[in-house]
Amino acid sequence: MIFRIAWRNIWRNKIRSLVILLSVAIGLFAGIAVLALYKGMMNSRVRTVIYSETGHIQLHHKTFKNDYEARFVISNPEKLLQELRKNESVKQVATRTITQGMLATTTGSAGVQINGIDPAMENKVSGLLQKIRVGSGFEPGKKNQVLIGKKLADKMKLKPSSKLVLTFTDADGNIISAAFRVAAIYQSENTPMDERNVYVQQTELNPILNLGNGIHEIALILKQDTATHTVAKQLQQKYPDLLVEPWQNLSPETELMIDTVDITSYIIIGIILFALAFGIVNTMLMAILERTQEIGVMMALGMNRIRLFLLVFLETIFLTLIGTPIGLGIAWIVTSYYHRNGLNLESMGKEMMSNFGFSTLVYPEFPTEKLLGIMGIVLFTALASCIYPALKALRLRPIEALRK
Amino acid sequence: MSTVIDAHNISKIYNKENIPVYAINNVHLHINQGEFTALVGPSGSGKTTLLNLIGGLDKPDEGKIEINGIDITAMSPNKLIDFRLRNIGFVFQSFNLIPVLTARENVEFIMQLQGINKTEREARIQTLFRQIGLEDKMDSRPSQLSGGQQQRVAVARALASKPQFVLADEPTANLDTASASNLLDIMALLNKEENITFIFSTHDARVIERARRVITLVDGRITSDTAKVDTHVQH
Ligand SMILES: Nc1ncnc2c1ncn2[C@@H]1O[C@H](COP(=O)(O)OP(=O)(O)O)[C@@H](O)[C@H]1O
Ligand SMILES: [Mg+2]
Repeated sequence: MIFRIAWRNIWRNKIRSLVILLSVAIGLFAGIAVLALYKGMMNSRVRTVIYSETGHIQLHHKTFKNDYEARFVISNPEKLLQELRKNESVKQVATRTITQGMLATTTGSAGVQINGIDPAMENKVSGLLQKIRVGSGFEPGKKNQVLIGKKLADKMKLKPSSKLVLTFTDADGNIISAAFRVAAIYQSENTPMDERNVYVQQTELNPILNLGNGIHEIALILKQDTATHTVAKQLQQKYPDLLVEPWQNLSPETELMIDTVDITSYIIIGIILFALAFGIVNTMLMAILERTQEIGVMMALGMNRIRLFLLVFLETIFLTLIGTPIGLGIAWIVTSYYHRNGLNLESMGKEMMSNFGFSTLVYPEFPTEKLLGIMGIVLFTALASCIYPALKALRLRPIEALRK
Repeated sequence: MSTVIDAHNISKIYNKENIPVYAINNVHLHINQGEFTALVGPSGSGKTTLLNLIGGLDKPDEGKIEINGIDITAMSPNKLIDFRLRNIGFVFQSFNLIPVLTARENVEFIMQLQGINKTEREARIQTLFRQIGLEDKMDSRPSQLSGGQQQRVAVARALASKPQFVLADEPTANLDTASASNLLDIMALLNKEENITFIFSTHDARVIERARRVITLVDGRITSDTAKVDTHVQH
């Protein structure tokens, strides 16, 4: 009968019940929306890292990354490449020759990383050629062409076919300068990377570095994202002389960001839940105040405190249980809509987003793995916040309640 | 004839710190099984306070109240709740029924709290609604019933738990003459046929007329206590 009273009480003041119900629904929706947005952002960030920056896995000479000295090349690259291409899990392979150096124009200079690449291979791994915004890319027949990032181009006032000089150290330790011409300007979603990296053809860089057919870096794209760690481990075992690293190691800031964003999302959810709790406490208090006499009658007749508590508790449970599927439904509809169509966050500041390596077009993803957790805390908050009103009801004295 | 209520020297004092108000002032009260007693007196004379005290809704500041020999003034609040549930029926002046429950559910609710099983509840509901003459209104919500009908359901509810006695605080105060008289008929009949003890407060002369014992309160003291000669007591 207490169930029945609680259930019918819900329908007495429809507006009030609607407030609680919608608070729960909106709380749940907002929580899921935040998680979905973050998940989308993180996933897209991870995809950007993998498919346009690092690849899934990179291989280097064990000590190359200490000082980026040109002499620490990967030994026996032809055999290694052949084996990697045959590997079942590997989809694409690109090789890079890398040196740190200085870019100078008539007006200024900047420190850069010079990447010697095979344009066709590179494009398959990092989509470099798709990032070209101005100019046509490496043209056959032309010599000493360089691709530079937009940020660097703006800073150094460079345009396609502008002249610049790259200075670096070759494999024997000699300082070399070479003149290049801007072939194209590219732009990725990661501005700091654009500012640092310039690309030249491996076939031109290697002779200057006096490296022969030596390479410093092999980047791999795998067939499956989830295989990254396993494959990295296998390769490390197979090639103990090389340093094999998954993208998480290559882009530790992305890992860190995922953690930070997790914390931020919990803070935001905390704020939402606080609002939810506040709403429920107030509305239930109002409900109890309105029913003082009735509660007085029930207590006078012999309804004990446990049952009275249960009554208030059940009302909140019912409202929460109705609100939950509504919130989930809305969250699901909205997330899947934006998952398909993308959510443009340009208004939040394109500049800021790309400074952190984020795309402004986010595809939110329903956070299935966190669903139970968030439903749990919403339910917990709702129930916890009816405790105070319930205690308030228990403290009513029947004679005073009846006198009103 | 057995004693149901025995109140010794009870007092209830409000506003103790400043000017004390004796809502009940050194009252002795003895009620036997099967009585049909009216508590009368002007407004503010202490009727409600006295009923609350013997109903275990309030505690006296002095004296003690025994119900069937059990001292309820010494009981803990939680025990009192259960004691009320099992021993005392209440009819209040207004706002008696739980609005979200039907007439039948209002009556059944109390029995359910008492842990009475479904078959027994059903049988008792049928009997009670026949006695109050509302068999056809069992499934109505309180808002669909007239004031008199609501009070009749309240009487049925008070009786549902088979209490030692029923306390009714001005049960007819909000009723028209016909409804008031009808309610009194039902109460009197239940008293006569089932020997149910009723104590009701009132200041309605027509209601006082129906009582077999009239206790008058003035300023918290009993100023007169008269029993009418009647045939009923003999059985
Ligand atoms: N909670 C209270 N606080 C202070 N005084 C009260 C309270 N309840 C009742 N009284 C006083 O006690 C006296 C008796 O009141 P009550 O029992 O309600 O009388 P009746 O029911 O006969 O009208 C009145 O003087 C009233 O003002
Ligand atoms: Mg009164």
